[in-house]
Amino acid sequence: MRSRILMLLGAAVFFMTFSTSAMAGDLDGFKGEKGEIKIAGGTAHIPVMKEAAQRIMGVSPDVQISIAGGGSGVGIKQAGEGLVDIGNSGKKPSEDEVARYGLHLFQWAIDGVAIIVNPANKVRALSQQQVMEIYAGKISNWKEVGGVDKQINLYTRDEASGTREVFWNQALKKGEIAANANFSVSNGAMKAAISQDPFAIGYVSVGHIDESVAAVAFDGVVPSRETVKEGKYAIARGLYSCTKGAPAGLTKKFIDYLFTAEGQQIVVDQGFITVK
Amino acid sequence: MGRLVERIIVLFSWLSGAILLSVICAVTGYLCFKGLKTIGPALIFGSTDPMSALLLRQRVFDGLFPAMAGTLLLVLMSVGWAIPLGTAAGIYLAEYAGVKTKKIFDLLFDLLAGLPSIVIGLFGFSLTLFLNRHVSKELHPCLLLSSIALAFLILPYIIRTTQIALENLPMHNRLTGLAMGATRMQNLVHVLLPQALAGMVSGILLAIGRCAEDTAVIMLTGVVASAGVPRSVLSHYEALPFYIFYISSQYANQQELATGYGAAILLLFICLLLFGLAFVIKKNLPCQVFSQR
Amino acid sequence: MTATCERAVERLFFAAAFVSAFVTLFIFGFMVYYGLPLFSGGRFLAILTSHWAPHQGSFGIYPMIVGTLAISLLAMVFAFPLSMGCAILISVVSRGRLSRILRKVVEVMTGIPTVVYGFVGIFLLIPLVRNVFDAGSGMCVLSASLMLAVLVSPTMILFFCDSFDRVPRSYGHAVLALGGTRIQHFLHVTLPCAWPGIIVAVTMALGRAVGDTLIALMLAGNAVQAPDSVFDSARTLTSHIALVFAADNESLEFKAIFACGVSLYLFTTILVLMIRLAARARGKVGQVG
Repeated sequence: MRSRILMLLGAAVFFMTFSTSAMAGDLDGFKGEKGEIKIAGGTAHIPVMKEAAQRIMGVSPDVQISIAGGGSGVGIKQAGEGLVDIGNSGKKPSEDEVARYGLHLFQWAIDGVAIIVNPANKVRALSQQQVMEIYAGKISNWKEVGGVDKQINLYTRDEASGTREVFWNQALKKGEIAANANFSVSNGAMKAAISQDPFAIGYVSVGHIDESVAAVAFDGVVPSRETVKEGKYAIARGLYSCTKGAPAGLTKKFIDYLFTAEGQQIVVDQGFITVK
Repeated sequence: MGRLVERIIVLFSWLSGAILLSVICAVTGYLCFKGLKTIGPALIFGSTDPMSALLLRQRVFDGLFPAMAGTLLLVLMSVGWAIPLGTAAGIYLAEYAGVKTKKIFDLLFDLLAGLPSIVIGLFGFSLTLFLNRHVSKELHPCLLLSSIALAFLILPYIIRTTQIALENLPMHNRLTGLAMGATRMQNLVHVLLPQALAGMVSGILLAIGRCAEDTAVIMLTGVVASAGVPRSVLSHYEALPFYIFYISSQYANQQELATGYGAAILLLFICLLLFGLAFVIKKNLPCQVFSQR
Repeated sequence: MTATCERAVERLFFAAAFVSAFVTLFIFGFMVYYGLPLFSGGRFLAILTSHWAPHQGSFGIYPMIVGTLAISLLAMVFAFPLSMGCAILISVVSRGRLSRILRKVVEVMTGIPTVVYGFVGIFLLIPLVRNVFDAGSGMCVLSASLMLAVLVSPTMILFFCDSFDRVPRSYGHAVLALGGTRIQHFLHVTLPCAWPGIIVAVTMALGRAVGDTLIALMLAGNAVQAPDSVFDSARTLTSHIALVFAADNESLEFKAIFACGVSLYLFTTILVLMIRLAARARGKVGQVG
């Protein structure tokens, strides 16, 4: 009887140690680490960065990871200037930028840029031509694309945004964006704004789409993780983290963590596509 | 005819009063309606145990604790810079400065007080860039630089309240000490400053409120959306007003938004508390420097 | 010994005042230094009058100047009558306890953080404007002006009350003795004497409206265009700084925000000088009494 209980206990202890070590395996390297990582830039990256940072800070209380937005342009510049340790970018930095700052790039996810509207809006499909005309201000009422008789409220992002650059290059073919467009400062802000404005149109990272907004089919393809992954959805891009020179110490550990099984699981959980 | 104009003026004034009151009721009422239910330990500490959070043993991820800690440190540091500098400058203006010098200083301090806080923030940001380039590569936007920039924002308030508190002291108080053979310095330290203290302290409390609520300066000098409790003065940090601003435009879900409402109520409460405290001190300390106006 | 000590302390006080004053000038110098290429050879004027189109290499801040003026002036249009009405209510119409309570409420209002107004504005005012006027997203000049009016009114009310109360009581005895009402007394005696104080209050409120960042940033929509109507989205100089400060430090885009900074600085200087002039006039009124 007693030996059986002992055996059970032993098994339980064994199981528990085994399972925790398996779970925390990818985080082991951070135990006992000290120091600070400053992250800024791409706002599509923020949910993944936040989750990774929380897990790391959870196992090692002496590590501080700060996450700021600003947009991809800001991420590239601030990493290049040495103001932050990791600069995120939702577009590939130009050859010139890589050479000028000595940047090292790490692409840890694939993402798409989707056109979104308020869920109350019945319009669920637009052609590229229609999107271009809407953003140029030539189509200014929803009834012209099959919706209600209401003015279209445009939302866009600032020049520093990688999402804007990708959208502008691929969906608008570098076409005009009307001057009356409202500005949002991040993917999160864009989503929040569209979810509150019933007659809005905007564009956001595919990973950020949830039930508070509705994705619009672009040239007949609904943007989703699957369609981006299969290459059917045209507006796709990589998510990059950049460092000035080769990363070292804690920064290197952080970037390595993004490529571990656990790191890539976070990428999937937050709605992006893994690179592995 | 004259009667009609009078009636209209009276009616208009009551209407204005009613509008103002209803606006203020709408603002506070709406916040309370949406946010009161979030008020509680969970708003601040999230799912973390309060004790271990306060002792910095455990991180708080889903509460306002890091933002509150950031704001507290920020306020303490800025006030730490601004009080010695501002009080000394205020004493100089009230007690030592000649007429001409005073005029020039007055103008400059008025100007500093009038500068939009974003301009002070821009100054702080460019100062950071300058220091980063020419002094040390280790200097980034951080708590330290934010607090210095913020100190410049509240400096004119502290200078002014010190100056006014001293200048409003009655002449006989000023002369008694001197007549009894005290030096100017002794008179200042033992007679004038103690009497002016109430005015000065209430000014400082208002300055603290200004520090706690300012968003524009810190936005440019080192506050971020997610950083945890700062580990050093050279770290990024979170702050309560910036958190409210951030959540308002980019909340990820309804739960985050609810925390935003809670944070707004909290900040409102802190600012009104400081305001009330300043008022009580102004009214109740022995020397009523302000009541003489 | 004590004399040297005294002198040393006095020098220390002077140093503090000097440093504080120097910072004021230093801020200006710093902004000019950082925006330098934009300020040489008459380019500053060109910046003020041209449009913002970074992709075409144009970094003018004209839309932001118009946006700032539109939002702040409209805010004054709402705030001035409201404040005047409330000040009359507090100083002239109501008496005793009610007057004291109202004044206290207004004083407390000056302590409400700006970001709280902005926060409530986003979730209460914006949908209201969108639904009532059925115009665009609701993030527009009108929304920002309305909220700004609420922000600047309390200070303006207190200043108005203060300047009404400063007019010596003795001035109006004749009017009251002849059987005039308090309103008549206010219209014919107080108001004409209090105008310098009113100008000071309005100028200060305007400065506050122009210098505020958060309300416009949160509620005006931030579109880069000179607004044509109150329902258009617009961007102020202050929001512009907040939105692009993190751009490439070497770019003209980044330099242009120092043009915004310098414009705001110069505007503040003008307002401060105006306030001084008005205050001098106000001092004279006081002296007569």
